[in-house]
Amino acid sequence: MAKASDPKADAQIHELYEQAESRTAEAFEELVSKPSFGMLLARSAENVAAVTRISSEIADLVLRNLRLAGRADVTRLARQLHRTEDKLERLLQEVEQLRDELARGQASANGSSVVATDTRRKRTPAASS
Amino acid sequence: MSAIGTLARVPRAAFDFANVILTVPDASIGQTPREVVWTHRGTTLYRYRSSRREHAIPVLLVFALINRPEIFDLRPGNSFVEFLLAEGFDVFLVDWGVPGDEDSEMGLAEFVCDELHWAVRETLLASGQEELTLLGWCIGGTLCAMYCALNPVGAVRNAVLLTTPIDPSDSLYARWVGHDEFDVDLIADSYPAVPGAGIDLANKLMKPVANYVTTYRRLFESLLDGKDPRAGYQSMAKWVADNPPFPSRAYREWITWMYKENRLVAGRVRLRGDRVDLTRIEQNLLVVTAGADHIAPPAGTVPLLELVSSEDVTHLDRPGGHIGLMAGSKAKHEIWPELADWLSDRSGH
Repeated sequence: MAKASDPKADAQIHELYEQAESRTAEAFEELVSKPSFGMLLARSAENVAAVTRISSEIADLVLRNLRLAGRADVTRLARQLHRTEDKLERLLQEVEQLRDELARGQASANGSSVVATDTRRKRTPAASS
Repeated sequence: MSAIGTLARVPRAAFDFANVILTVPDASIGQTPREVVWTHRGTTLYRYRSSRREHAIPVLLVFALINRPEIFDLRPGNSFVEFLLAEGFDVFLVDWGVPGDEDSEMGLAEFVCDELHWAVRETLLASGQEELTLLGWCIGGTLCAMYCALNPVGAVRNAVLLTTPIDPSDSLYARWVGHDEFDVDLIADSYPAVPGAGIDLANKLMKPVANYVTTYRRLFESLLDGKDPRAGYQSMAKWVADNPPFPSRAYREWITWMYKENRLVAGRVRLRGDRVDLTRIEQNLLVVTAGADHIAPPAGTVPLLELVSSEDVTHLDRPGGHIGLMAGSKAKHEIWPELADWLSDRSGH
């Protein structure tokens, strides 16, 4: 039958392990704070980026030659949609501003104290989550 | 417990450990009910449902570009949003969405002068108020500081900046990407949207043992001790693993302006031709730093305190890490009540 382990010995082993881990962590943190590690990281990031770009360009070229829409084509379309959305948003803001000004003008003409905020739109939430 | 007893628990703990790790994607985060107020491109403005809004001034939460804003609403019982709602605040959140290749031309100016500016506008419209509180965290705090500097008079009554990089010249990031050898243009030209996984890897490499060993060891130990760390671990692990891409223009500007040239603190950032001069910040300001923050160390934030023109400036330096300070288990008893007290004094009734 197994003997119950000594709780003190267990705690000591645990403490020793935590000390070792803590020292390893400090050593690694010192390592990553060295300029040489920064250089290594920079080079690695650049290499990965370059390889990604080359493979992405090749994949796009293949798709384009197959007369299929590639990532670049979809991105171009999405950009056009974004530009349209930008213009619509600015237009909406202009319209709201004009409406507020009109309401203010009418209020002052009527001598009323109606404030422009009354005319502010309340957008219907598009969705809930 | 006997050694045999401990050994007998190992297979079950290992089984549970695997289960906890493998089911992280199934964890639910960001569950507080909310409604969409406004959308533009990928940006969405949410308003959280509340039956008790006691403070007139709404709070607009702004998070970083490199993680999802669900950290504000991690899980029921440990949610900053839930806490603010219980304190009677009207809470809004701006979500930058998940940028794609088509967002490559989104720079810091687009985020500050368009998306954030319009989110502020829509928050005021939805709440019917003339002023609000901007609460920014990490890069979100920097964006808020830029916005306040560009708009010192107007909609923002209070600004709360949590673990915000302002002068990161002495940070580890600056050592990694601030030198000339790091070719930010090559990265930004190669990726229309810089993959979030790469940025997450860099973040984790700052404390490799803590992130790749200690976290898992602690999880295993707590399972071995018969505890149930599932909810807490999984919600945080899911959030940490969700890294949206960084639009390449914003990435280029962020790395160059903040880490290579340290422009913000020197007042040399220009957005749409306007100089971002931090000395123009006049809003009531609360700056929170975390003593053990390795991503935005306190030394990189406190210079802001000397720069601003605000008459009402408060600085809280508390123990904790970049995220742990606000999202750790102690936050709801320590830093959140302090934030709520500060806000309630400045948010009307």
